[in-house]
Amino acid sequence: MRLLVVEDEELLREQLVQGLVKHGYIVDGAEDGRSGLYYATEFEYDAAIIDLGLPEIDGISLIQKVRSEGKEFPVLILTARGDWQDKVAGLDAGADDYVVKPFQLEEIVARLNALLRRAAGFAKPKLDFAPLSLDISAKRLTVHDENVDLTAYEYKLLEYLMLHPGQVISKTELTEHLYAQDYDRDSNVLEVFIRRLRQKLDPDQLLKPIETVRGQGYRFCLEES
Amino acid sequence: MSPQVSNSNYSIQNRLLISFSILLFVFLGLTGVVLDRAFSNSIEAGASDRMQVQIYLLLAAADEDGGEFYFYETLQEPLFNQLNSGLYGFISKASLGELWRSDSAAAFEFSDTELLRQAVAVGETVFSKTLDDQNQEFFVLSYGILWDGISEYSFTVMENAAPYYSEIGNFRTSLWAWLGGVAILLLLMQVFLMRWGLSPLHYMAKDLKEIESGKKNQLEGGYPKELQRVTDNLNLLIESERQQQDRYRTTLGDLAHSLKTPLAVISGVLDKLSSNSTNSTEQESLSPELKSVDEQLERMNQIVSYQLQRAVKSDNKSTLSRQVSIEKTIEKVLDALAKVYREKSVQVEKNLDPAAIFNGDERDLLEVLGNVLDNAFKYGKSRVRVVVSNNGELEGRELVSIVVEDDGPGIDKGNQEFVLQRGARSDTLVQGQGIGLAVVTDIVDSYKGKISVGSSGLGGAEITISFAVLR
Repeated sequence: MRLLVVEDEELLREQLVQGLVKHGYIVDGAEDGRSGLYYATEFEYDAAIIDLGLPEIDGISLIQKVRSEGKEFPVLILTARGDWQDKVAGLDAGADDYVVKPFQLEEIVARLNALLRRAAGFAKPKLDFAPLSLDISAKRLTVHDENVDLTAYEYKLLEYLMLHPGQVISKTELTEHLYAQDYDRDSNVLEVFIRRLRQKLDPDQLLKPIETVRGQGYRFCLEES
Repeated sequence: MSPQVSNSNYSIQNRLLISFSILLFVFLGLTGVVLDRAFSNSIEAGASDRMQVQIYLLLAAADEDGGEFYFYETLQEPLFNQLNSGLYGFISKASLGELWRSDSAAAFEFSDTELLRQAVAVGETVFSKTLDDQNQEFFVLSYGILWDGISEYSFTVMENAAPYYSEIGNFRTSLWAWLGGVAILLLLMQVFLMRWGLSPLHYMAKDLKEIESGKKNQLEGGYPKELQRVTDNLNLLIESERQQQDRYRTTLGDLAHSLKTPLAVISGVLDKLSSNSTNSTEQESLSPELKSVDEQLERMNQIVSYQLQRAVKSDNKSTLSRQVSIEKTIEKVLDALAKVYREKSVQVEKNLDPAAIFNGDERDLLEVLGNVLDNAFKYGKSRVRVVVSNNGELEGRELVSIVVEDDGPGIDKGNQEFVLQRGARSDTLVQGQGIGLAVVTDIVDSYKGKISVGSSGLGGAEITISFAVLR
């Protein structure tokens, strides 16, 4: 999952970026509204965290501009004042949720998870594709009600596929959303992870949850239960 | 801005009306008195002239012989010969008293018996008034003469004053009737002119009232040039007051931002420290200290939030307030909350009177509704009800009430008072206790509104807020 953090206070931005990276997200940081707008329109993101008090372009205008560019990813706003004028204005401009400063990183992560899941059309924190079940908040996978251990990359890959069921996801899109920019796109790491994931999910090759669409990418093909 | 009580009972119009009325009455009264006097004097002077002629008549007809007077022919003036005609003639000498009287005066009795003994210098006339024995008033004119160069006599003519007085009386009646009519006419004109002259002040008062109730932002329209400077200055004052309030809020908002961002950074550092120490052996010794830093941080945050929200909320000067539609504001907040609580699928029942308005700053109303509705969404299980209605009156002003209910766990009877305690010092707030309702109570109080907590028919809490409305 690729996130954009727009926050002008350098220390806070660094903390957020590092904390979110630790939680397995790919994170870009922008220090003002103008560069935030550049990032948001030039790259594909799954969600953005935007501070309301930004230099150059303020948070509310930034959200409006991002939305008018047709970007639909969920936006979480950070507000220092915490008054309802700000919250209502932010949500009305197109944000989806707010967090009042100061905050705990866990709170941000929890809100982000909920936003990402909702954006994918899931109402509950669990993605159920029997016999697979992925708990997004606990980051845990069960198959036939048994825990399956996944590495961080494997989890990210599976989560992204399960959040877009039935859609063909290109290798480029996967790479962009799951790995940092400097990742070597020509390597076959993605194929290796897909192969390992298939083995863990479906050792007997009865389910075939991840389908390869030749020349186009991959598709998660189980039905939601 | 409440006016001083003692002098405020009289409006400018009444003051002008009263002072001009006094002026009018004094002027017309004095005019009347002067005219009355002048007329009386001219009547008396006329009488005196007539009596002088009568004296000359007497003089011409009189004949003296040894100190006695004789009239050989009948006097030309018939009234001298007719008994009690009201015109009487006398001849007297200061040393001897009355020497002769006309036939008309045969039955006349003096009340002042000394009148005819008063000496009148030769060639002089003396005009006076006297009463007879029946208290009837008479004009008296005496003329002193030197008869044959030897003896001094006084010729006196008396005439009944009643006909003159009745003439004066008639004049007086019509004089005062006219003056009274003129006074009433002038008073009416004065009221009318005063209304017209003061109408710009009435318009200004009306404009100010509309600014107060939020229908207008400025004093509008053309005022006379004497008032134009006042209205221009008032407009400037209103505008600068608004700008100052805005600046004040912006400054405080910036202060909040600059205080809270470092707090967020510290909180982040703390997170990192505690997660680092989780795996270390120091965990047990470090953890309580970190915990207390965390607690203090949370307290600081609450104090900053509480004080700033209290300060940022408008200092609602009613003169500068505006009208805000409660329905629209509620819809805004509900739209925002619908996003935040999308997962909860809360069912909202609304019954909002579209005519209900709030006299004040929209930010304050947003803060009140935001906090109360957020609580309802947060604690309610699946249902929230909002009812806004215009009901009742308080001290002659319309009352708008906002009732927010939910089906959550509700608030204990014992705590219902506590959560609304106004101005509860933020450093006494219990850990985890939100500052939302305390701020709401502060704002509602600052608008002289009322807030109460009860139990809802839905099963949870019921918050009722009411405000008085200026129309």
